[in-house]
This record gives sequence, structure tokens and C-alpha cells, in this order.
Amino acid sequence: MSAGTSSNAPAAADPSAPAGHRGPSTPTPTAVRSRRRLPGAGTLARLALLALLAVGIVAAVLPFVWMLRTAIGPSQTALALDSNPIPSRVQFDSFDQAWHAGDLGPALLTGVGVSLAILALQLATAVPAAYAFACMRFRGRTALFAVVLATLLVPAQVTAVPNYVTISALGFADTRVGLVLPFMTHAGMIFMLRQYMSTIPAAVLDAARMDGLGTWRTLRSIIVPLAAPAIASVSVFSFLLSYNEYLWPLLVARSPGIATPPLALARLMTDSSSVIPDFAELAAAALIISLPSLAVFVVAQRRLAAGITGTGAGA
Amino acid sequence: MGGSRVGWRVGALLSPAFVGLGVFVIGPALVSALIAGTDKTLTGPSFDWVGTANARTAFSDADLAGAVRNTLVYCLITVIPAVAIGLALALAAERVAHGRALVRFALFLPVSANIVAMAVVFAYMFDSSPDGFANTVVGLFGVAPVDWLGDTSTALPVVALVGAWRLTSFVFIVYLAGLTAIPRSVYEAADVDGIRGLARLRHITLPLLAPTTIFVGVFVTILTLQTFETVAVLTKGGPLDSSTTIIYYIYEVGFTGSFRIGYASMIALLLLVVIVALGAGGALLGRRLRRAREAAA
Repeated sequence: MSAGTSSNAPAAADPSAPAGHRGPSTPTPTAVRSRRRLPGAGTLARLALLALLAVGIVAAVLPFVWMLRTAIGPSQTALALDSNPIPSRVQFDSFDQAWHAGDLGPALLTGVGVSLAILALQLATAVPAAYAFACMRFRGRTALFAVVLATLLVPAQVTAVPNYVTISALGFADTRVGLVLPFMTHAGMIFMLRQYMSTIPAAVLDAARMDGLGTWRTLRSIIVPLAAPAIASVSVFSFLLSYNEYLWPLLVARSPGIATPPLALARLMTDSSSVIPDFAELAAAALIISLPSLAVFVVAQRRLAAGITGTGAGA
Repeated sequence: MGGSRVGWRVGALLSPAFVGLGVFVIGPALVSALIAGTDKTLTGPSFDWVGTANARTAFSDADLAGAVRNTLVYCLITVIPAVAIGLALALAAERVAHGRALVRFALFLPVSANIVAMAVVFAYMFDSSPDGFANTVVGLFGVAPVDWLGDTSTALPVVALVGAWRLTSFVFIVYLAGLTAIPRSVYEAADVDGIRGLARLRHITLPLLAPTTIFVGVFVTILTLQTFETVAVLTKGGPLDSSTTIIYYIYEVGFTGSFRIGYASMIALLLLVVIVALGAGGALLGRRLRRAREAAA
């Protein structure tokens, strides 16, 4: 990890600083080195750590590898499964089949579009709220913030029915707007942004006031640029959460035309179980719908960890 | 600060967020609490106030009791391994000198995974066929093929494995963040005092990580109590309801069959009470820990 991580979390130590005192590349102070235990114990411990990491990495990656391996192998059904690590033949027909059978093109567009629309709305509602909670003094601030946090505890199943009624009454049932609206703001985002904005020094805000900057100008030209790393972090979280959302689209997106990717995949799985499911096709579909979230993850994986550090979850 | 003008600005800044939370979270939660006292169905136009009848039904509902039992088992076999393994991996990854980026990348991967896509992959890996991946692996140890998702004794553990797989990655990230927040000077001081290895882990690192542990334990438990996708895709609660969790049961009662929204809302309300209690307990514990630390410092 490079220094990119630390820029988001002013309170945290630089994670790129070498850890592990006994790492071969990190020299220990000589005073300590002279008191070291037998070299054998250290080596053994290091080997155990490496073994643990190796097992962990294999377990984390295996389902992805198996998904890829199945998708590029020949089609296979439950009657004749092939669990060789190397497929007998490499072919890409399954991607084509999955793409058409699952109607994945429109699903990907819907999924990405809906997730980006949700992100835009969440930023528009959460950034000003976080700014107020972090930088302004007003009566009821603690109580209101507690209300925001409390909403994090409400399970989606509790709000699903009333939301369904609301969305239907507004005429948005079975529409993309209906998929977006209930997620227009997110308490977790307000919380994470507030935590970060609280670390902006009061002097900066005072200087902005002296310069005659109003609330809006301060928000736009001071707060937003300073909080950019946190905004990037919460954006990654928001996209991943929205893109992977399953319950709400399951209830709202009745017609196949507006199915989100997870829904399209689940339907492909249930539809094909009436005949005999082709696992290569299902794996290809799973791989295709995973691509947008994987792409976001690859580009922004640092932001994930940094975002969590920024919440104060770390120590 | 001029009182009312500040109030006006604060209102303008907060109102978009509170409109969203009010209309789509707080309002619905309150409405849900009201519906919980009725016999409303999703399809029927009229409904009656039934008072506490739904609550009484819940406490004598054998299917719900089964779902509660399944959820508790699911929580136990998901949360404890996820927290323990996630912590161990974070401690190990922090000490890696070379290839840290790669290690972290691989271990972060499950968090970004689409849970439905992964459930599909796991369903295939745990296929009942003797040639399935899991059966091939256990076959190496001479174990006869298992009908993983079709057997009442293995369906829930397999679903839990998918949950644990993903949560471990989340726990790993949180602990890694917690570890980087421990100042290096603490370790240097410990080193000078000759405290290292397991002693350092027990007396320095773990106590310093205690707030992280409380946060991650409570958070992951609350997430786990709301498990839905994996059950919906892998088993649909079966076989014979052996993998029906509370949330999935709520879905079954309210959104399938006879669409008993009133009763489903009551179960959801009871679950909400448990979740709020857990969250409040975690917050209280965290605060007490911080106080004790400040008092000691």
C-alpha cells in the first residue's frame, strides 16, 4: 500500500510504515536485536504466519477462480460435473449464451445507471447534512445525529412494505425511478462524512468566514475539496452496496426489462432449473454481472480500507 | 452566531437528508410498527386492528421458533470464525514485508463480491453430484458424497460458509485499519521492555484493539441477523425449513403465500428490538471502555 491510504485518515498512522519488527527488510534497533530470542522460534512463527496467509488468500480467491474456470470450460450439467482444476477445453460460448439468455446487457445498464443515480442523490443529501453536523453548532444537533444513526439499525425488511406502498402511490412501481428513490439518502454516508469533516480545523472555517464566504461558498469551495478523499471512499461503498442490492429490486422490478444484474442472474438460475442448469452458462453470467463491482473494486480498493479507518472504527 | 439565521441555514443543509430518511426509513419504520398491530395482507383491501394478537402468534409460532434457532446457529458459526480468522489474517498481513498490496487485494476481494453471483458459484461448488467440487475434495479424504444443500444437517452450514467467507474479508479490513491506528511508539516501548511475540499480542495489541473488536463484533452480528440473499439464492430456506433464517421467514410470511404483512411486520418489529438492543449494548460497552482508558491515562 502506498501513501494514498493515509491521506484519507488524518488520525491514523501511516499504514505504509513498515510493521513487523522481524520483517527481513526492517532493521530492528541494535539494542533490541541483542536481546532477541533464538532465531528458530522467529522463523517458525514467520512460517506459520505465511501459511495462514496463504490459506486465507486461497480461500478468498478460490470462488472467483472457480467461477472463471467454470465459465471458460465446456458446458456442464449436474449429471456430468467436471471438477478438474484445468478445463478439458477452453471456450467462450457460455458468455454469449448467458448474455442472451439472461438479457444481461440491459441488466448491466440498469444496474450501473441505478447505482450512479443513487450515488448522486446520496451525495447531494449527505454532504450538506454531514457539513452541518460537523461544522455548525445548533440546538438539537446531538439528538438529530442520534436519529440519523438509529436509522442504520432498521432492517430493510421493516421498511420494505411501507416503501412499496409509497413507491406504488407515486406511480413508480416497476420503474427505474422506483429502484432509486428509497435509497436517496444513507445514514452511513452522513456518518462517515461527518467523522471526516470533524477533523477539518476550526481555523479553516474561521478564515472562510473572515473572507466573507457564505455557507454555500464554504461548502462548495472549502469543505468539498478538503473532504474529497472521504467523498471518494463513501462513493465506492455506495456504488458497491447499490449495485449488489437484491431485496428491493426483487420486490419492485417485476417486469424483466428493468431487472438489475443480481436479479437477472437469480432469474436465470431459477428459469434454468426447470430444465437442467448449465453451470458454465451460470458461471459466465455470474462473472459478467460481477465485472462492474470488480472494476470499481480494482480501481478503488484503497478507498475501502481508508473509508473504514476514517469512521473511527480503527481504535 | 446569529441564532435564527444559523437555524435557517442548518435547516436548509439538513432537510434534504431528513426528507429522505423521514419518507423512506423513519416513516416506514413507524408505519410498520402500526401495521404490526393489524391483520393486513398485501393483497386484501381491508384490514382490522388486532392489538397484540400478532405478538402472541409469534411467541407460539413453531416455524418462527425454528427460524430463530437457525439464525442463532447461523450467527454462531459465522460471526465467531469470521472475527477470529479476520483478526488472525490482519495480524499476519500487517507483518508481511513483501507483496502487501497483493495480500490485501486478495483478502479484500470477497467484500466487493456480488453476493448473488457468489451464491450461484457456491451452489455449483456444493452440488450434490459426486463430481462436484466439494464432494471431490471430501472424496480425497475418503468421505462419501454429501447432498450439501439438500440435506437438513448440512444446508445451513453451507449457507453460513458463504456468509463467513464474505464477512471474514470485512473483518480483516476493519482490523487492518485498527492495527494501522496503533502508534509505532507503543510497539517500540514494548520491545525495549522485552515484551514481544505472543506476550505482546496478548498484553499490548489485543487490548488496544478492544474497541475495534466491539465495533466489528456488534456490526457483523447485526449484519448476520439480516441474512437474506444467500438463503434466497442457495436454499430458499429448505430443505424442510432447515435453513430458514428470521429475515427469510419474514419474507416468506409477508411477500409469498398468503402475504400476511401484518404478521410479518410484527416479527420484523421484534427483530428490530433485538438489533437496537445489540447496537445500544455495543455503543455502551465501547463508551465504558473509552472512559476506563481515559481514566487510566
